[in-house]
Amino acid sequence: MATHKKLPLLLGIALLLILALVACGTDTAAPTTPTEVPVDAPPVDTPADTPAAPPVDAPRKVATFIWTQEFDSLNPMYTSMWFSSITQQIWNAAAWHFDVDNNPNPVLVTQIPDLENGGLSADGRSITLNLRDDIRWSDGTPITSADFLFTYEMTMSPNNIVNSTYPYSLIQSIEAPDARTVVTTFEEPFIPWMATMWTYILPEHVLRPVYEAEGTLDTAAWNLAPTVSAGPYVFAEWESGSFTRFVRNDNYYGTPAKIDEIFFRFVPDDAAQVASLRTGAGDLGTFISQADIPTLEGAGVEVFAVVSGYDEGWYMYFGEEAHPALADKNVRQAIALCFDRFALNRDLLLGLTEPAVTFWDNTPYANPNLEAWPYDPDRGRALLENAGWIDTTGNGIRDKDGVELILVHGTTTRAIRQDTQAVAQQQLGECGIRLETLSYSASIFFQSYGNGGPLPTGELDIAQWSATESFPDPDTPRWLCAEIPGDEYPDGNNDQKICDEELDSLFRRQATQIDFEERQQTFWRIGEIMLDNVYWLGIWQDLDTWAVSSRMENVNISGANPFYSIAEWDIRQ
Amino acid sequence: MNQVSLIPVKGVQMTRYIIRRLLQAIPLLLIVSLILFLLLYSIADPLTMMGGRNPTRPEDRARLARQLGLDKPIMMQYVYWLIGNDWEMIDVSGDGEPDTYGRRKGILRGDFGVSIVTRGKPALDIIWERVPNTLLLMIPAQIVILVFGLIVGIYSALRQYSWVDNSITTLSFVGFSMPIFLIALLSIYLFSVLFQRWGLPSLPPNGMFDPQVGKTTSQVLKHMILPIFAIAFIDVARYSRYIRSSMLEVMSQDYIRTAKAKGLRRVYIIAVHAMRNASLPIVTLIGLDLPFLLAGAVVTERIFAWPGMGRLFLDHLDRSDGAVVMGIVILLAIAVILSQILTDIAYALLDPRIRYD
Repeated sequence: MATHKKLPLLLGIALLLILALVACGTDTAAPTTPTEVPVDAPPVDTPADTPAAPPVDAPRKVATFIWTQEFDSLNPMYTSMWFSSITQQIWNAAAWHFDVDNNPNPVLVTQIPDLENGGLSADGRSITLNLRDDIRWSDGTPITSADFLFTYEMTMSPNNIVNSTYPYSLIQSIEAPDARTVVTTFEEPFIPWMATMWTYILPEHVLRPVYEAEGTLDTAAWNLAPTVSAGPYVFAEWESGSFTRFVRNDNYYGTPAKIDEIFFRFVPDDAAQVASLRTGAGDLGTFISQADIPTLEGAGVEVFAVVSGYDEGWYMYFGEEAHPALADKNVRQAIALCFDRFALNRDLLLGLTEPAVTFWDNTPYANPNLEAWPYDPDRGRALLENAGWIDTTGNGIRDKDGVELILVHGTTTRAIRQDTQAVAQQQLGECGIRLETLSYSASIFFQSYGNGGPLPTGELDIAQWSATESFPDPDTPRWLCAEIPGDEYPDGNNDQKICDEELDSLFRRQATQIDFEERQQTFWRIGEIMLDNVYWLGIWQDLDTWAVSSRMENVNISGANPFYSIAEWDIRQ
Repeated sequence: MNQVSLIPVKGVQMTRYIIRRLLQAIPLLLIVSLILFLLLYSIADPLTMMGGRNPTRPEDRARLARQLGLDKPIMMQYVYWLIGNDWEMIDVSGDGEPDTYGRRKGILRGDFGVSIVTRGKPALDIIWERVPNTLLLMIPAQIVILVFGLIVGIYSALRQYSWVDNSITTLSFVGFSMPIFLIALLSIYLFSVLFQRWGLPSLPPNGMFDPQVGKTTSQVLKHMILPIFAIAFIDVARYSRYIRSSMLEVMSQDYIRTAKAKGLRRVYIIAVHAMRNASLPIVTLIGLDLPFLLAGAVVTERIFAWPGMGRLFLDHLDRSDGAVVMGIVILLAIAVILSQILTDIAYALLDPRIRYD
């Protein structure tokens, strides 16, 4: 056969071989019929029954979660990465967790410390934990107060390069009168303790010998392959770049987990996550973008949003370099009135969320009497006119005393934020405000004053991002006068350089208020001031969007502790 | 002149040439490392993103900067990276007084440093974990590129201006013009999503293997198909054009006509006479591509979630992990230098007229 006739034949054979290889063991399950699920309602739970013993030959229940970022470490001391930290809820344990309503529930302790049960001292400085007597590590070793003290000791050790010592650095003393009691005393009343403390514990019996031998836990093998766990699952393996596997902890002191194994598969981006969820290769994913929701729902994946305390907002700058217009409250109010955030939420975010009113929306600390600034460009223009900002040159940009009303707006490179910039630029332009837009990578955008960050150094008049502090606790140092960064204090938290005396006083007061209702009232007043002065303009409530395959059951996800009920999750066989 | 005596002379010349090139590489690597280090640490701040979803707390930032040596002047950080800091006392306790010797040995003593992201894990360990995965993907891809490039290029040259040649030329231009991310995403959409929807045997969209099945040979092979296809689609087009052009030039030479006149078989003429002389440009191409065997296909690995060097580089660059990023680029710089030397050696072997003095 001539050479030129052989080639197509050879190529055809090669193609058949490829298809044959693919056919070997390929799952060709037909796509499921799409179902309609309200996007903003959590899935319907089935009651958590006491699990019966599974039949001996029952197929293993295996779930695959798709993560767009790979863990950096499994030792909670060495990671602040969200994708790693929340996984602690699967295999580690906290003293308490927050449920789907963000109410605290005891886990390692017998009860949540408060004034009535004596767990919280009257001055708010001492917290006493009473540990359960049935808690143990997966190797059977009891979990005691020694593990709590060890956790504190390792967090504070200068030999360990931990990500954060907060809030343990604020502790004045910590004692363990017995194996079931831990008494922590702060120098000053530390109100956000419930949301920030004892979110993990370290096994003293495993890690103290390592620390004593190496002088540090930085290089401990346990950081990447924990040998014991305190949660419903234990670590099994971690294939770098590919996946991590957890299996049920048969020695768990709580309700045994229903799912036998959980895989965390690491994919590089949102597109890969969506592809995995659509094809059934994954059972759960998170941070789903609004644009992908219809696609996933069409493939039968349930999508729902969870409040996690984050709200997207505009942060106005008040430093020396700020545009003089921003010092005028009327101008700031005009900006709020000229920007149709409602249409933005409807069009860009598919109506899945709404403009945030306060920094604490969806928490008890958000003032229910407040409403978001409406879209009223006529009123906005009137405010600008009254403030003296008039277009004297006829170029469409208002000016005053020779200064044009041109504001610099900056944010990160996320697509939705850049789309927001484009919309805002157009709408504010219709009110005679010119918005110049800039975007930065996150690692540059969030740099501090000391590192030349764009907001604290005055490069921006308005910065947009989403933040929370210690959700579900409302405390934040962000607007304290003492936190204004400068050459003498380059790492200050008050990037906007706001110093409002009443606001500052209220923030200081709430940090000492033990009584919930008093503290709530303080934050309601804080919200009033911030809204009226437009120190912070809410753009949207930044809910965490989760996608769950239809074969998962009993999935309840809390904003503060997404996997708080992981033991109850099940797979429909 | 005695022909046998020429061989040792040429071997000595080659050895001297290699030694000279290796010595020249030392200052080159130092300059490359300095430039890259200054660029990386000038534009990126690894401490900013260590707070997770929130910026790093100020008190933690100050402590971490001290503990990680990031509070030192950038040139001092480079010196530590180069020669280590175990010769100097550093402040571990944070009281402002140096109290213990550092633990770093520096890259000149084989210590690539410790990852900031995967705290405490040596950067070299992190990198070497991924090298086999990258080679597993890139070597077969390169073989596919070479084989199909040769086949298509030679066939196209031998059938110049035929409808087959014109079709191949058109497809080559299309393939060469398409960005690789487009090919990768289209292949996922077609072979994974649509094929599954149509009930056809489908290919996995990402990963190196299905964790629930395990890292078996068939699993890895199946997961290699789409990434190799995406990588090869463009480079087959590139190689085939070079090979076609080179073959056409060689086939028009007198010695080819002489060989034909001598009655030699066509296959023999192509394989022995034409290919050898047409191979020098191909050697250049392969030599330029050799470092990429180690570097991996950054975009492809990212899209297909292949746990290789390319993806490792992007993940750690995103988080400004200087130790791992510098380790990768230094290894790549060494790979470039070595591949250029190998290419020069190959030239000399293929063409006896080439000499290195």
